[in-house]
Amino acid sequence: MAHRRFVLFGIAGVVALVIGLTLTSLGDNLTYYLYPTEAIDQRADFGDGEPFRLAGTVVVGSLDDSGETLTFDVTDGGATIAVRLDGPPPSLFEEGVPVLLEGAWAGNSFIATEALIKHDENYETPEEGGAYDDQ
Amino acid sequence: MMLALFGTAGVLAALTGGGLLAVRGIRVARGGKSDLIGPARLLAAGAIAAMAALEIALIADDFSLSYVANQHSTATPFPFDVATAWAALEGSIVLWGLVLAGFTWMAVRRYRKAPDSLAAGAVAVMGGVAVFFFGLILTVSNPFEVCTSALEVGCAQSSPFPWSTVAAPAQGPGPNPLLQNHYLMAVHPPVLYLGYVGMTVPFAYAISALALGVPGPEWIRRSHRSTLVAWSFLTLGIVLGGWWAYEVLSWGGYWAWDPVENASFMPWLAATAFIHSGLVQQRRQMLQAWNFVLVIAVFSLTILGTFLTRSGTINSVHSFTQSAIGPALLGFLVLVLVGSFSLFATRSNLVSTSPRVDSFVSREGSFLANNLLLTVYGFVVLVGTIYPLLLEAFTGDQTAVGEPFFNRLAVPLSFLLLLFMGLGPVLPWRGSPPGQLWARVRAPIALGLAAGVATALWVSPVGWVVLAVTFATYVTSGIVGLLLEQSRARSAKGGQSIWREMRRVVVNDQTFWAGQMSHIGVVVVVVGIAFAANLSHHDEVTLEPGDQTEFAGYSIVYESPFQVREPNRLVRGARVTVLRGDDFVASLEPRANFYGSDTTGVVTPAVLSRPWGDLYLTLRDIDSERVELVLDTSPLIWMIWLGGILTAGGGAWSVSSRRQERALVRQSLIADV
Repeated sequence: MAHRRFVLFGIAGVVALVIGLTLTSLGDNLTYYLYPTEAIDQRADFGDGEPFRLAGTVVVGSLDDSGETLTFDVTDGGATIAVRLDGPPPSLFEEGVPVLLEGAWAGNSFIATEALIKHDENYETPEEGGAYDDQ
Repeated sequence: MMLALFGTAGVLAALTGGGLLAVRGIRVARGGKSDLIGPARLLAAGAIAAMAALEIALIADDFSLSYVANQHSTATPFPFDVATAWAALEGSIVLWGLVLAGFTWMAVRRYRKAPDSLAAGAVAVMGGVAVFFFGLILTVSNPFEVCTSALEVGCAQSSPFPWSTVAAPAQGPGPNPLLQNHYLMAVHPPVLYLGYVGMTVPFAYAISALALGVPGPEWIRRSHRSTLVAWSFLTLGIVLGGWWAYEVLSWGGYWAWDPVENASFMPWLAATAFIHSGLVQQRRQMLQAWNFVLVIAVFSLTILGTFLTRSGTINSVHSFTQSAIGPALLGFLVLVLVGSFSLFATRSNLVSTSPRVDSFVSREGSFLANNLLLTVYGFVVLVGTIYPLLLEAFTGDQTAVGEPFFNRLAVPLSFLLLLFMGLGPVLPWRGSPPGQLWARVRAPIALGLAAGVATALWVSPVGWVVLAVTFATYVTSGIVGLLLEQSRARSAKGGQSIWREMRRVVVNDQTFWAGQMSHIGVVVVVVGIAFAANLSHHDEVTLEPGDQTEFAGYSIVYESPFQVREPNRLVRGARVTVLRGDDFVASLEPRANFYGSDTTGVVTPAVLSRPWGDLYLTLRDIDSERVELVLDTSPLIWMIWLGGILTAGGGAWSVSSRRQERALVRQSLIADV
């Protein structure tokens, strides 16, 4: 019986360990998505260098690829944030595309290390059908 | 209009059939008499009619249906016009209903062969589930609505009544570009749905057994084949999804712990645990309560997965309320959970007599470990998937759980699973005589370590690669060793040559060896993942026509840009010649496709597959002067696809076992006596 109790305690230990690990890892790996308006509103919560994801549209006329790194503005219709992209641009990157940027604040601009083009969502969304869902 | 009427009539018929099955199934289960064949036919015929109406409308470009008007365009080529039927929400629920009708039809046929209360009760549960899904189609997810106000492209307003005045647009926008970019996307959803929906069968038998108070593993035995069929399709569906992502999404990966992917992986983990623990109950009468819990979990996770992928909740909890489908599915999920567990709680008498484990060093002992690990694994994926949703629901913050979270926990759990995967098959039921375990695992452990050292010396010293090869060799050689041991024993006992006996060993216990085939499939996947993830090369280059660059042993020459106008898309791409030394290897055309009004192109990689791995070229940007290319290699990535197919194939092979069927019949005859 001692053997069985040992095994049961072992099982309980493993489960507790994994649940603990799960919950602690969760906090470390959680990134926030913010639109420019939210990012500016919550500027105090995200200090320089503290990573989050910025979602918005590349402002037409703002893209500058003359320097070593790409710079452009991102907007959500309300606020606009100047972005410097230190990583490689995504495929078919151009003005007017919706983007998702990973990076952090540096003063008044956002330094992105990674950029993704956000396609009009994937096929799962009901919004995709457009008007007829909102009848 | 005709098709709207026909489709709606089909849905109504299926709804009626499902309702009748539920009511009459309960009556029969309680000892009454009623016909179940008729309603099952009505359900199947209605579901087929609905799907047929949708397909005909798509193929015939009937834009009077708002679904067709918003998801299809006259330029959509075959087979994507057919696949558009499940490319968006409303149509995919019709497919769900059709698959459910098919599984219900098979359950009714089994009921006909062995008409008893357990089978009738299961049919009633399936009828109830069918009522829910066809009810969804009729109310909040109706692809047969007619367009009453047309836009230039697509439909602005629609009505669920087929007799409404139709205003059909002349053209639609076509399906989502990502879905018409590759043939795999046409087959991936139906295959996945066969897996998802098939899990209704064991759930239905479990609920029937609980409600009727039928003791023992009879419900597992009856639904065993359906579970395996569903599991095989689910496995294949997940692999096809990864393959599609790799061939289409052009980031060079196949799995990103995306909620959509997790939605299919969570029920897979739970179902895999259930297949193993179901075996334990059949052989040792243990884990009775646990099996009920697991099968309820499997079914609930398929509903959760449908909810996650079909309600728009993943993008934002706020889009949840834009369509009534989200609340409906969530409500159904709660109903399933509360109903099943309440029923379970009132039937503790059924599960109170589980015998205890004789020894943990036994087949059932290793299955317990496997179940514990798979459950913990499922828990981790579940937490990572729904935590952002809960957080957003309560705080309004939009967040994402990163891949490192999943990898940090999933990788060690996977290797622990492999550890027990090597022990389970070589251990006998009940307990192993002292020394036997060591005698059987000694060689596999030695071979695994040798393979690991060899890999470290001659292939790569990267830890995960070495570990993957070590564990893969350990598991595989354990299985091969067992096969050799049994064949040799038969041969020595006056049988024929060892090779002939080997065939007999396999045929005699096909389900066991089919399971081992799935195990080998899993380790092949693990090796593929380890190599592709750790030994890939990456580069980014800008080339002008005629330029050449060296990459991972290849010479890559940019020949010229090209542009082609196809009926449904504009294709821009680069012609690239790949050389090895001075020898021509292949011409590749990484490209960008522009569909309809969508100005953001969809990049399609060009993939060159070789036994040692893939060369993967993606267009970053192209104009008349230069091209920006992303170059990647994915070593041994084909092992992921092959291993996945082997894993699913093991399940299918197990189902096809005639002997198993006979053995089951024998067992149930004994059980009836």
